[in-house]
Amino acid sequence: MTRYQLYKLIRRNDSLKDERHPMLEKNRFMKMLAIFMFLYYAAILVLMGVMLPMGFRGMYNGVSAFHVMDGLVLYLLMTDFWMRFMLQETPAQRGRPYALLPIRRSFLMHVYLFSSGFSLGNLFWGFLLVPFGLLAVMPLLGWCALLRWLLAWWLLFIINGFCYLYVRTLISRHILWVLLPAAIHAALLFIMLWPEENILDIPLTEMMYQLTLGNVLYYLAIAALLAILYWANYRLQMTMVYNEVAQKEEVEMKHTTEMSYLNRYGALGEYLKLEMKMRMRNKTIRLQFLTLLGMMILLSGLLYFTDIYDNGFMKSFICLYDYVGLGMTMLISIMCHEGNYIDGLMSRRESILQLLYAKFYFNSVVLLLPFCLLIPLMIIGKISVWMNLGYLFFTAGVLYPICFQMAVYNKETLPLNQKLTSKQGNWVQQLVSIMMLFLPIGVEKVFTLLLGNPWGFVMLAVLGIVGLSLHQWWLRNIYDRFMLRRHVNMEGFRASR
Amino acid sequence: MDITIENLKKSFGEKVAVNIDGFQIKSGEMLGLVGNNGAGKSTLFRLMLDLIKADTGRVLMGDTDVSTTEDWKDWTGAYIDESFLIDYLTPDEYLQFIARISGRSDEELQSFLADFEHFMAGEVVGQKKLIRNLSAGNKQKLGIVAAMLLHPQVLILDEPFNFLDPSSQNAIKHLLTQYNQTAGATILVSSHNLQHTVDICPRIALLEHGVIIRDIANQNGEAIAELENYFEV
Repeated sequence: MTRYQLYKLIRRNDSLKDERHPMLEKNRFMKMLAIFMFLYYAAILVLMGVMLPMGFRGMYNGVSAFHVMDGLVLYLLMTDFWMRFMLQETPAQRGRPYALLPIRRSFLMHVYLFSSGFSLGNLFWGFLLVPFGLLAVMPLLGWCALLRWLLAWWLLFIINGFCYLYVRTLISRHILWVLLPAAIHAALLFIMLWPEENILDIPLTEMMYQLTLGNVLYYLAIAALLAILYWANYRLQMTMVYNEVAQKEEVEMKHTTEMSYLNRYGALGEYLKLEMKMRMRNKTIRLQFLTLLGMMILLSGLLYFTDIYDNGFMKSFICLYDYVGLGMTMLISIMCHEGNYIDGLMSRRESILQLLYAKFYFNSVVLLLPFCLLIPLMIIGKISVWMNLGYLFFTAGVLYPICFQMAVYNKETLPLNQKLTSKQGNWVQQLVSIMMLFLPIGVEKVFTLLLGNPWGFVMLAVLGIVGLSLHQWWLRNIYDRFMLRRHVNMEGFRASR
Repeated sequence: MDITIENLKKSFGEKVAVNIDGFQIKSGEMLGLVGNNGAGKSTLFRLMLDLIKADTGRVLMGDTDVSTTEDWKDWTGAYIDESFLIDYLTPDEYLQFIARISGRSDEELQSFLADFEHFMAGEVVGQKKLIRNLSAGNKQKLGIVAAMLLHPQVLILDEPFNFLDPSSQNAIKHLLTQYNQTAGATILVSSHNLQHTVDICPRIALLEHGVIIRDIANQNGEAIAELENYFEV
């Protein structure tokens, strides 16, 4: 077999891996949704690409629209960088199935680095840049300049992709590496936003202009940077692939937690421990939790220290998001992680009922976290006490019962400790997510309209307290319905493991 | 506890995985289930544990239809595969979890584990390792120990000799035989290891294409010849 044939074969296996992913294969809706979402975002970018030239044209006196766009290059690259976390795997992860086959590891790594670095995904921003360039670059500088301008952007996205691959691989070694891009991006944002004048604006615009004009020196510099990043990635990935194969995970635990304070709750206490350990000891879940916590702190901090979100809707939305975020992420996919050991759970009497109780109590206690986080905002008067209490009780007593319904219908196992790429959830999960974010605001508005302030939030609290007091009833109801569907669900969990 | 299989049928698409008109396992019996790959052994066990839904028929433990109530879970222990283990717990935490949710004290657990010390060979409990980091053999040992933890009246083990080293295979044979004799438990064991199965099971069922094609008495190890002949060993 020639190297080219081998390359084609590996690429074919990769596309089959995506096409036959258990979450997609059995779910026609997911396929349609994926296509729809792609087209939706592409359409938004095209629309922006058509509108922005007009908007940018009059922004600065005598400055062409494409120069304004070029000045935004770092913002676009930063957005692109963080979006890649949802969509792109590292070569070390993908090379694992071939590790023991008679294929040179270096060849395999080149295949993956090349296909990752130069993937079609890098062209997605073309939906924005092509119409923009047609309207803003071509009329001023002609077709050749347009092509060079687009080429320059494409090369920058490729460089960004290699930076991402490097960082992502480091993060798979230790989560704290996420601080590296966060610090660099924060520093860049600080430099660009803090001083009166953005000192990076002119050098960046000039760089893009020279690339558009076809200045060979600039292209050589870009090529050199690409080569360095490729080489650095190659070295790192080659080291990492051994770790992936050997799964050099922390084998010996430094300390195990007894959580003896939960012993007094008997069997329920044991399920509470299980719930807590699941979050502490599994990378994917821990990362989700920490990311959301970070988001909550960031949004609340923005609300506290700045006035950018001072309008009524945003204050309400941020307050609600703080409450809903943590629970929503875990509870929308309720039971999906348990799919990994569902057979064991199902061979114990009423274990699922106890588990549901534990999940409800744990997630309700977790709500104290946003409550405390929002106290400073209550003190400075940015949000009202009733808003805080209303969302607290409504989340626990009304939104959680809605979320817990997913326990009856979820039947796809989610990995506990592996990176999950492109997890979108099924349509019911998406619907419940949307409902959780907008139902409380809708209900509050209706009651405020009918009864005036602060009765909207008071009613949220009242409805929540009613839901809380009925939790034993609705949890039992969910359990009974789960048991009726147990065979279908277990089959789904097994098939997607 | 008697186990009765009545008109049990399960198909996956066109393929019939289990098709048993009637079969009875008497209380206190130790039954070995043998068959080629894909014969339906694991599917039969999963049906007996209500982990999959039968197309027709039912499994009774005593008078209890396993698909209609959870009562049988109080007296049944089972280990089929790793999906019975919670891999982010340590072995000690897992055993403690099983014991405590079943109302057993820590003292009872420790006294139970003492009987398994030789079998576990100091490599399962007392380790600060998560289950996911254990070797396949040690996971198997943990699953078996957890299945026997509640002194079940019915014990179902799918391929219990897999992944185990020779001395652990002998140890588990001894433990199962002893448990069967002292507790009078009904034990079902599936295996590809004909010799081990013949060594411990006085009765052996041969399953092919989901059908029990032979029900072999094996009081004195006489089944080995018939099995070796069938499997052309």
